[in-house]
Amino acid sequence: MKKALIVFRKEWREILQNKLILYTILVPPILLAIIPLVMMYFMRNEPVDPEDLAMYSQFVAALPWLSPEEVVMYVLLNQFVLMFLMMPVVIPVTIASFSIIGEKEQRSLEPLLATPIRVTELLAGKTLAAVVPALLTTWVAFGIFLVGARFLATPALLRALLSPMWWLAFFVMAPLFCILSVAIGVVISSRVNDTRVAQQIGGLIVLPVMALAMLQTFGKVLYTTQTFALACLVLAVLDVLVIRMGSSLFQRETILTRWK
Amino acid sequence: MMIETHDLTRRFNGNLAVDRLTIDVREGEVFGFLGPNGAGKTTTVRMLACLIRPTSGTARINGYELGRDNQQIRRICGILTETPGLYDKLSAQANLLYFAQLYDVENPEAQVRKYLQMLGLWDKRDEPVGTFSKGMRQKVAIARALIHEPRLLFLDEPTAALDPESAKTVRDFIEELKGEKRTIFLCTHNLDEAERLCDRIGVIRQRIIAVDTPDGLRRSLFGRQTEVQLAEVTPAIVDAVSGLEFVAHVKQDGNRLRISLADPDAQNPVLVEQLVRAGAKVQYVSEVKHSLEDVYLTLVREEAR
Repeated sequence: MKKALIVFRKEWREILQNKLILYTILVPPILLAIIPLVMMYFMRNEPVDPEDLAMYSQFVAALPWLSPEEVVMYVLLNQFVLMFLMMPVVIPVTIASFSIIGEKEQRSLEPLLATPIRVTELLAGKTLAAVVPALLTTWVAFGIFLVGARFLATPALLRALLSPMWWLAFFVMAPLFCILSVAIGVVISSRVNDTRVAQQIGGLIVLPVMALAMLQTFGKVLYTTQTFALACLVLAVLDVLVIRMGSSLFQRETILTRWK
Repeated sequence: MMIETHDLTRRFNGNLAVDRLTIDVREGEVFGFLGPNGAGKTTTVRMLACLIRPTSGTARINGYELGRDNQQIRRICGILTETPGLYDKLSAQANLLYFAQLYDVENPEAQVRKYLQMLGLWDKRDEPVGTFSKGMRQKVAIARALIHEPRLLFLDEPTAALDPESAKTVRDFIEELKGEKRTIFLCTHNLDEAERLCDRIGVIRQRIIAVDTPDGLRRSLFGRQTEVQLAEVTPAIVDAVSGLEFVAHVKQDGNRLRISLADPDAQNPVLVEQLVRAGAKVQYVSEVKHSLEDVYLTLVREEAR
């Protein structure tokens, strides 16, 4: 673990020198924390559009403790909370591919692999460097959002926003997304030599999360703690599969002889 | 022995990269590894540095068995790869500190300072290596290879792509290292460099073609020859020299005679005496020294036939 921390520290030194990566880590969380609060601020005194009410009529029935206005706001805010989950998907894949392809571009992998570091330690260090900032920014952004919501939302709406579903999302699903994202980053980095191409390919993994958010936006589904628990289970299985694939690619021999 | 290999072989998708390599490298020796591009030099280094596995064969590094004791081998080996492979955005100090920590160096800061000062880079320690010249980057890479004081150092083309001044600095530094009694395994295309630095040389083209000291290789290929410059060469003089029982071969080139001898140290005085007796006016006597380039090209061409 000591060597994984050495790798983690070095990765961070490099990330701090790269403005593009820093913006990728810092800008989306700030926007995602502020936009829903601004929306809440302007929506709270506005009458609800009857069309919205009609679209979410099934949700009004499912959330009887909320007024129809609160239901509409809840559903819209939920989109943003789902958007928060894009961060643990996008940030790790960006950092992981920057880190690994950066090593390939600089041809630093060979001397690095000649040291007595174990590849599991190296992978763990790189994973930590990608996961820690993603989780921290996600949690801090969600924290800012909740603090703002505390002042802007009605008590009933705030209770709904603090449901176990969201704790599950941020403290179980987000780390699972992070691990999946890093493992995908490793797989992509083994086949691609350009950081931007890797980030573009990596960006595609955000599409399933967006699709799930859209389903709720269009009133097709209302996510519950049970659906999130099921999603966590699926993610855990996916994590195991992709980690296995990533680990098999992240071997000294494979890196030096088969990576492009 | 620092390195002992036996029938070390590596194939890539069926293609033979290194074929039954059997060599011994002694402790404290500078061993030159020569061969054309694609001859298997880098593959051999990668196998010996535990970066890739051999397809078959065995090797021991300082008594440690390749494959079984890889972590111990990595601890005692340093490697300078074909390209410096530095982290461009990090400073020279940060680059070296990272590797010092990965090698579990006891006092990493002091060790980094030692090598940066030794290579004249201490004043530039905080500058990103991306701003360094090729020569400076190569120095940082050498410092990185030495940061954990390895007993065995693999140098893969250490002066390739360097300007003459930087190349000389690097070569001088390798000579200093030679004085420290480290074992150095030097892959190079630069035959002058190999001649100057190496105790023994191995010529490889997938399989090992020859291993010996530079002089030993010359002798085994060309024998020993004495060149005599005369004021005038007459048939009588040539006959007189050819008549000597220890002379294997005489070749005339203008007023010069090139004479193959088994033991010039003992036979040259007799030879000169015979020439004078035959009426020759001797101007110069010197030993014919074939360049390592002649040796290398002859070996590689013979192998290609």
